[in-house]
Amino acid sequence: MNKPDMNRRTLLAAGLGMGVAAAFPTRLLAAENLVVATFPGTWNEAQTKVLAPYFKKRTGASVTATIKLAHDQVAMLAAAGGNPPFDVAIFDDPQVLDAVKQGLIVEYPQAKSPNFKELLPQYQDPWGPKISMQVIGIGYNPKRVKTPPKSWDDLLDPKYKGRVGLTALNSQLGIAFLVELNRIKGGTDTNFDPAFKALKALLPNVGAIGANLGAYATLWQQEEIDIAPYNFNFVQTLKGKGVPVELSIPETGAVGWRTSLHLVKGAKDPDLAVQYIDSSLAADLQTALEQAPYSVIPTNGKVQLTGEITRTLGKTHADLAKIRTVDWAVINPQRGALIEQFNREISK
Amino acid sequence: MAGGSADERGEWRLALPLAAFFLLFFIAPLAVLAAWSFYAATETHTLTLAQYAKFLGDRFTLGILWNTLWLGVEATLVCLVFGYPLAWLAIRLTPRWQAALLFVVILPILTSVVVRTFAWIVMLGSQGVINKTLIAIGLIDTPLRLLYTETGVVMVLAQVQMPLMVLPIMATLMRVDRNLFDASASLGAGAWRTLWKVTLPLSIPGIVAGCILVYAACVTAFVTHTLIGGARLIYMPLYIYQQATGANDWPFAAAMSVIFMVAVLFVVYLLNLLGRTSKGQIYG
Repeated sequence: MNKPDMNRRTLLAAGLGMGVAAAFPTRLLAAENLVVATFPGTWNEAQTKVLAPYFKKRTGASVTATIKLAHDQVAMLAAAGGNPPFDVAIFDDPQVLDAVKQGLIVEYPQAKSPNFKELLPQYQDPWGPKISMQVIGIGYNPKRVKTPPKSWDDLLDPKYKGRVGLTALNSQLGIAFLVELNRIKGGTDTNFDPAFKALKALLPNVGAIGANLGAYATLWQQEEIDIAPYNFNFVQTLKGKGVPVELSIPETGAVGWRTSLHLVKGAKDPDLAVQYIDSSLAADLQTALEQAPYSVIPTNGKVQLTGEITRTLGKTHADLAKIRTVDWAVINPQRGALIEQFNREISK
Repeated sequence: MAGGSADERGEWRLALPLAAFFLLFFIAPLAVLAAWSFYAATETHTLTLAQYAKFLGDRFTLGILWNTLWLGVEATLVCLVFGYPLAWLAIRLTPRWQAALLFVVILPILTSVVVRTFAWIVMLGSQGVINKTLIAIGLIDTPLRLLYTETGVVMVLAQVQMPLMVLPIMATLMRVDRNLFDASASLGAGAWRTLWKVTLPLSIPGIVAGCILVYAACVTAFVTHTLIGGARLIYMPLYIYQQATGANDWPFAAAMSVIFMVAVLFVVYLLNLLGRTSKGQIYG
């Protein structure tokens, strides 16, 4: 060949090709990429800054996280019909029941997950390991509420008129608060009249009801509310950003539920997905996530409790095991009706 | 246009790709949605009208529908009142100033709706810019309640959707022959009379187009409704979302979507009708 066999058009095409390759290097070059679902807030930050790098070091694969609430994930998986948009789902206790019933997740392959056995027995769910626990109490702004509230009845105090916040029932926070309010006021899991009676009495004090958790966090940031039910981890995350908010556990005790990771049915790369889930169970990773600002409650028995967890929630794993849970098998079927009644009570 | 009508030359075939796209990704999903609205429950797929009966027989849900449709009317009127003078002004400017104004008008579309809406939370809150300013200049003592009120939602919707009103009106006004304004003036009409008798009637098509766009955008603005309105002001998009995901009641959510769509289409039809009848009056 005495003359390079390259005219203007092929040169242009080659140049364009290189340009495209440069623009999307990960698409063409990266060996593997796992798509996972993650929760907004604390877990998303922990996922991006700690878990994903840890997983990359272990497997060489990168992680793409899609931020979705648990309900939305269930709806998406149900709609996808066997072609799931992500391989790993993150659920709270109630959605595990829904997802199993609808056949959206598969049993967790424990044999392929060396860290699974290190979990405390109560966290070894055959449908997917519990990676943490979430606890709710009374959130308050320490600049405006000088003595930490000790009872849910404090929300009814007239001095907080217009300064109490609530969140809609599409989050676990909302539902768990309603269930606890009901229990304290003498209701049962099949009779929510006491809760709604208490809610009605509370409404004159309520300044704002966040339609979702993002809006709820903004209410604290903008100091629109001073006192409201809130989630231990969200309080830590906001505090880490300099927002004046603290959590107090009322004398009637804390309420909690567990958060878990699941291998989705029809996952594109199930082995990688299990590696990711197993990474989240590792003692060294959970120790890292236990530090501020995440303060993620560990589920691995080898991890000692420390920091904000021991200050607010309990000194030992045995203390945490005593935190009251919600009977989701009874509550789940009523969720639609509860949301409906809540809407009617609060609507202006 | 010498070679016969577009039909004869088969130019309609140019629309085929888009038509196929619409059929596959718009009409087909819509049909699925309509089918779901007749199911008895998310798990049981027997056909029934129960979802529609449930919605139409309940004052609470009908109230939500009415509030949503009315919210659209309020926001559209605010857009029209503020947008029309802007469009009127724009066509009288030199090209350079016109470009500058146009840029300011479309600026809101250039940022994400979520970002814009969160910015409004900062503005409207009781510790927000508006309240702090009003307190500082002594107009009020206690902060006004703007966030989580319908007034707040209307304000934000009007700002966010303003370009959809201004641009069609500007486009229509630019096509109007300037000599008509001069003729009106030389025949003795004042500025207001010219506006009322000449400018306004000639810009009706732009006004109607703007109103339809703004209205449809306002009643379906899920992000603005939820972030600015909060959970206590329930509008149709949030309610449909809650039923679909929170309550897992897909058939009811589907039925509400169908009812909402028909209701919005009816309002759009009324607007169109208004446009047509008032156009008749100019020449009549």
